[in-house]
Amino acid sequence: MKVLEATGIKKCFGGVVALSDGNFSCQEGRITGLLGANGSGKSTISKIIAGVYSADAGEIRYKDRLVRYRNPNEARKDGIAMVYQNLSLVPDLTVWQNIVLGAEEKKRLFLDNKAAKNLSKEIIDQLLPGLDIGKMVYELNPGEMQIVEIAKAISAEPKLLILDEPTSALEKAQVKSLFRFVRSLAERGVAINFTSHRLWEVMEICDDIIIFRNGENVGSLDFERDGRDPERIVSYITGDVQKVKVSRERRKNGGKSVLEVKGLNYGKFLRDVSLDLKKGEILGIGGLAGQGQHELLLALAGNYPSVDCVATIDGEKVRLNRPANSIRHSVLLVPGDRELEGLFLKQSVYTNVIFPKLGLKHQPLFTPRAKYRKECERAVDVLSIKTSSLDMPVRTLSGGNQQKVVVGKWFSFSTNVLLLADPAKGVDIGAKRDLYGYIVNQVREKGISVILYASDTEELAEYCDRVLIMYEGQIVASLEGDDINEDTIIATSMRVR
Amino acid sequence: MNKARTASGSSTLRKLISKPEFSILLILVVMFTITAVLQANFFEKRSIVRNINAFAPLILLTMGQAVVIIAGGLDLSAGSALSLVVCVLTFVMRKASPETGAWAILAALVVAVLIGVINGIGIGYLRIPPVIITFATSYMWLGAALFLRPTPGGESVDWFKAFYDFSALPGASDSLKAFGSWMPPALILLLLGCLMWFVMKRTRMGRYIYAVGSNGNSAYESGINTAKIQMQACVINSLFIFLAALFFVGQTMSGDARMGDPLTLKAIAAAVVGGIALTGGRGSVYFAIVGALIMSFVNKIIFFANIPYAYQTLVSGVIIIVAIAGSQTYTLYRRRAMARESTLA
Repeated sequence: MKVLEATGIKKCFGGVVALSDGNFSCQEGRITGLLGANGSGKSTISKIIAGVYSADAGEIRYKDRLVRYRNPNEARKDGIAMVYQNLSLVPDLTVWQNIVLGAEEKKRLFLDNKAAKNLSKEIIDQLLPGLDIGKMVYELNPGEMQIVEIAKAISAEPKLLILDEPTSALEKAQVKSLFRFVRSLAERGVAINFTSHRLWEVMEICDDIIIFRNGENVGSLDFERDGRDPERIVSYITGDVQKVKVSRERRKNGGKSVLEVKGLNYGKFLRDVSLDLKKGEILGIGGLAGQGQHELLLALAGNYPSVDCVATIDGEKVRLNRPANSIRHSVLLVPGDRELEGLFLKQSVYTNVIFPKLGLKHQPLFTPRAKYRKECERAVDVLSIKTSSLDMPVRTLSGGNQQKVVVGKWFSFSTNVLLLADPAKGVDIGAKRDLYGYIVNQVREKGISVILYASDTEELAEYCDRVLIMYEGQIVASLEGDDINEDTIIATSMRVR
Repeated sequence: MNKARTASGSSTLRKLISKPEFSILLILVVMFTITAVLQANFFEKRSIVRNINAFAPLILLTMGQAVVIIAGGLDLSAGSALSLVVCVLTFVMRKASPETGAWAILAALVVAVLIGVINGIGIGYLRIPPVIITFATSYMWLGAALFLRPTPGGESVDWFKAFYDFSALPGASDSLKAFGSWMPPALILLLLGCLMWFVMKRTRMGRYIYAVGSNGNSAYESGINTAKIQMQACVINSLFIFLAALFFVGQTMSGDARMGDPLTLKAIAAAVVGGIALTGGRGSVYFAIVGALIMSFVNKIIFFANIPYAYQTLVSGVIIIVAIAGSQTYTLYRRRAMARESTLA
């Protein structure tokens, strides 16, 4: 029996269309998977169903009645529970207190803690036996927190359970016991919506899947009827149409090493990462979202004091534990989240562009304003940053131009290696072309080397000479030559091939 | 696995001594011992009662402050609120007619609750930063108190002495006096405050106060009315202030619009010494008592150590910093040691 059906869902964030025509339905006792590349709209539709976002157009029918939830609470009261990627737990309460939070039973005047503990223990024992329900949530590791989050959603006895990437923080054994439990829930008649990046997981747990690409659903498979064919799923995800071959000639591997890293470890994010960047090379870092790519670039830029790794830059050994070390060797980072990391939003374009210079050794006592302004003007000119004056607060610029300012910060530095962390995220096509045009020019003219992480596979396929694929903090594949196309990158990222 | 089980007895002890609460209790024991050594008659019944009387107001205010801080707020108006409630009590009471005492208590209770509601609306519903809204309201309470009592004075009914000392009560029976000699009213007020929190902690409100202070967004997503909880925390604080006001009037039999002011920051500092995180969600209201005791012992130590008056304030500041830094360093050290052990295992 159909529990929920969503048709023609549309959703825009600002000017960006996240979902143009989303359709989704799920049935009692079945586990329906949602698949798609980064930014395909699969997460957006889950959140619309759970009441986190409201749809711009389209309708949702739940138990044969039209619904429109204004917040997650309304949906939960109706029996739709969602497990969030970003956790909704309270760190200073215990596990069992979190599981019943907001739905505590009372026994006369006082809270019925005994019943709450029993209920929590019953759920936790099925999900992760051995977890002490009296522990404070801040003492748990991310995997355990994720389990508690799931337990909290289940304690409300939902009719529809939405699991948005529930396994990203879990270890193999935890995933196994989670799957057993999810299956038993389905057998009790709960409809389950399961989103994951990991294709193998989806094939193992789901009864049928819906595939999203560019904001619409492009296909669905019933595993019983259509069989489990990973190649077919990947072709749905990437699209059958082959993109026009890239005209740029890829550099052949070889030449002098510029940056060499061996056995880089950082917590659970990076495991034994080794790479060797050649002079004049654009090295791409690909893979599913959140597999350690961002952490890798930050580590190379010296952002993690605890990283104990010696890199070789131009034949010289450098400890990567302070940003100043990397900057001194002209290894420069362009951070991805410009609002959080890259810019002082309320300061002027000028202040932002010259800021890195102020941290250099041997600065003159007074800033040579005229000289710096000239340099800043040139940066604005070369990068074609659209601003009415150098003194405009960066906040007033468009996203693409803001990102150019982040790149412009390093303009007057002698650059050796440029680390780009998703530089074109949320940037319009024109600005994107400007940005990459500038970078490719720099590579060609000045012989600098680039490590590029892009969440958009198209950018990797177009600009890179070599692409490394990361999975769970490790580099699992290195693609070269004709292997660098969207199809192969996505298939390798999902570990199909 | 087996090895871990056999070592579990000593590891429970290790866990215990690595808790921040343990280091706070340790500091209390140190302060207590120093005071006991310096004050010759420390263990005599009379000086114990005197000490309890001297400590009670700060303890009550610290407990109230702790509730607000745990809920993610801060009350800079607590001292002025205490002054205002005291002034209301002495404004209503007439020495000649004992029944005015009951009216005064009722009026003071209404004013106290109103104070909490106003602070709570500002913090919870209007989302004004707590430091700012309570700083502003502290002037309102002070202004109102000055309006009721421009100069120190006022009168009180005789039976209000029951809040300070049963033996000072006119016509008290011998048995009541005997009871009062080992159970001073201040201690009864403190126990009443503890009982109040004991009950509330076991209701939804008590649980939610921690949840809201720990992570307001998560609490909201779980369906908790966070603004209401913050307001309730402010009202509970007001009830503690109300208890302190009863004690003050019982002691001085008069009112003063500026008497409470110095207690505000002392109570906040005492809460911090007691291990209550200013970021909210963490700490225990009972440990606020320990914090207030440590602060009070510091004052006594300075008094008995014959430190010249000019340096007393300076020294008390230094001692508080040493106490907080010491307890945090100790906890950090123990945690590190435990982490090392667990990685070795």
